[in-house]
Amino acid sequence: MPIHEKNLIRPENISTHDNLVMDGVDVSGDWSTFIKTRVVADYNEELQDEIAALPGGEYIHRCWQCGSCTNSCTINAINPDFNPRYWIYLIRMGFESELVRDKDLIWQCVSCNKCTSACPRDVVPEAVMKATAHWLERKGYTKKSSSTVFDEVFSEQVIERGKIEDGEVVMSFFNRTGQKLTQPWLIEMVKRMIKGLPVQMLTMMGLATVFKPKTRNWGPARDAINDYIEEQEALLDEKLGPSVPYKAPEPAPTQIPAE
Amino acid sequence: MTKPFLIIGGGPAGLAAAHSLASVGQKVVLVEKENKLGGAPILSGYAKLVPSGEWAKDAIGAMVDRVVGNPNITIKTGATVVEFSGEPGTFTAKLSTGDAIDNSASILCTGFTHFDSVNKPEWGFGTFPDVVSTTQVEQMISSGQGVRRPSNGEKPKRVAILLCVGSRDRQIGREWCSKICCTVSAKMAMEIREELPDCHVYIYYMDIRTFGLYEEIYWKSQEEQKVKYIKARIAEVTSDGDKVIVKGEDTLVKRPITIPFDLVVHAIGMDPNVDNMLISSVFGIDLHHWGFLKQENTYGVMGATSRPGVYVAGSATGPETIDDSIAQGNAAAMSALAAVVGQSMAAE
Ligand SMILES: Cc1cc2nc3c(=O)[nH]c(=O)nc-3n(C[C@H](O)[C@H](O)[C@H](O)COP(=O)(O)OP(=O)(O)OC[C@H]3O[C@@H](n4cnc5c(N)ncnc54)[C@H](O)[C@@H]3O)c2cc1C
Ligand code: SF4
Ligand code: SF4
Ligand code: SF4
Repeated sequence: MPIHEKNLIRPENISTHDNLVMDGVDVSGDWSTFIKTRVVADYNEELQDEIAALPGGEYIHRCWQCGSCTNSCTINAINPDFNPRYWIYLIRMGFESELVRDKDLIWQCVSCNKCTSACPRDVVPEAVMKATAHWLERKGYTKKSSSTVFDEVFSEQVIERGKIEDGEVVMSFFNRTGQKLTQPWLIEMVKRMIKGLPVQMLTMMGLATVFKPKTRNWGPARDAINDYIEEQEALLDEKLGPSVPYKAPEPAPTQIPAE
Repeated sequence: MTKPFLIIGGGPAGLAAAHSLASVGQKVVLVEKENKLGGAPILSGYAKLVPSGEWAKDAIGAMVDRVVGNPNITIKTGATVVEFSGEPGTFTAKLSTGDAIDNSASILCTGFTHFDSVNKPEWGFGTFPDVVSTTQVEQMISSGQGVRRPSNGEKPKRVAILLCVGSRDRQIGREWCSKICCTVSAKMAMEIREELPDCHVYIYYMDIRTFGLYEEIYWKSQEEQKVKYIKARIAEVTSDGDKVIVKGEDTLVKRPITIPFDLVVHAIGMDPNVDNMLISSVFGIDLHHWGFLKQENTYGVMGATSRPGVYVAGSATGPETIDDSIAQGNAAAMSALAAVVGQSMAAE
């Protein structure tokens, strides 16, 4: 498949020979596939199962590479390198290193689900993209995305109290993502809310921030949810290994131009 | 004397069943809903058939003729069965025309319904005049008019044929392969190139299923007529007011495609006959989970349904080719005959 061979002609895979003679013929110059070995040894045969173990990835094995997801995709229309079909192929073949090259693209899926309604086999590519983004996070290839952080803040509160308190969600989210609370748009929003909302509601919101109310008799529900989450996490640990924290790549050494 | 055999549907399968039973001296009543015999190839005006290359009106026309002239066969056109009762050997069928037909066994040869492409609106059928179905192109060719753009009557310079329209698609509840459309499309592409040598013909495919000997038609379309095959399922068909624009991803080279065409052809699939629910309740037989008439077993009695004495053949059972429909018509006729003769011998 041509898409496979592309990696062999990337600049880093081209070798330059100043003085190469084969069978008495001078063949010095830039060489790629002729010289580099074609054997690909780093297939991860578990990759499809790993993605399938994450919520949304269940149906990845159905894909028959028709391209409907890619050609209907909102993001692909802007950036042709955003290609769900291709990534599904890489995952199914276990071509992990190739997949990881696109780690900064995959999460850009906007969940519009155009792919989902185009897919003739009901792979639900949108959900596969989500699963893949989570896989990248879990394996430490990408930073936790803001949306993952938001989900965490939100569900922590719901699970703890059976309720959320909007102000607190926003504050914790801003806090954990390192954003300032003094952003002009946020200040403006709060100002208008104070102006527009009935006094009684504002009072209730204010009290809620201080007293953190719980849903009545929430305890057993919370315990059940926590048990379930623990179970699921254990399953994921078993299939994917424990989460790996993200480590920012070493900054590339500054090139000193040769004399 | 046994009662006649009742055959419902006058397409290739029904014509074959009627003819073979009449040939061995049995009386046959052939009930056909339309006013004309011949089934899809005649009613929809197909051009040359695969794999024989014979014109449909000649090949199927000959099958109609030998049935029409046959003294053992009574033909009831413009009729359907509205009530069906009794036991094997002594059935009675009431027709929509009011006739009651006593019969010893029935064979359902009620065929298929063409997929209606308006159910796939993103591919432009019903929106743009230059998006047509394979049946329409068959008619352009068989009528002698030739392949033309419906919008302005001009000869197309670029034609795209989209495969699997209405087949192999969970989004519209049609998971089956319609079996014949790859081969028909390859044939059609060659016919277009023969008539219009300057016209480029592209076939957009997910898989090519020109099974068995039909592979030869696929090869010929490439080797002799230079038909181009692109592995892509199309996202949408739009128009700039003149050309129809096909958008997709060429999956082999991982590249987006947006190509203007003069004519886009949908290789439409074979749906279960729209009458099947009714047929199932009138005859008291089971449907396959995809809505076709269910065959009771594959290896024992050919064409048996869930009701003894009621048989099924041809594309009523699922997408079929003409030659297989004919073979099944003959096989179901033999099954019915064997059961009826066996019953009357046992009674003597
Ligand atoms: C575009 C296209 C091109 C094709 N070209 C080829 C080809 O080249 N070669 C090939 O081998 N196959 C071809 N086929 C397939 C071919 O059409 C079928 O194999 C064939 O028509 C099946 O014959 P049949 O008798 O089972 O059903 P049909 O041809 O569908 O005949 C069924 C008959 O039953 C009648 N009927 C339906 N319901 C009732 C009812 N309730 N009561 C009474 N009568 C009823 C119908 O009016 C019809 O006359 C093509 C199909 C398509 C869609
Ligand atoms: S859901 Fe994501 S992958 Fe699917 S079409 Fe939208 S942006 Fe593209
Ligand atoms: S649309 Fe579905 S089957 Fe087609 S390539 Fe995308 S995921 Fe695979
Ligand atoms: S025969 Fe070909 S075009 Fe028809 S449904 Fe099957 S694969 Fe698709």
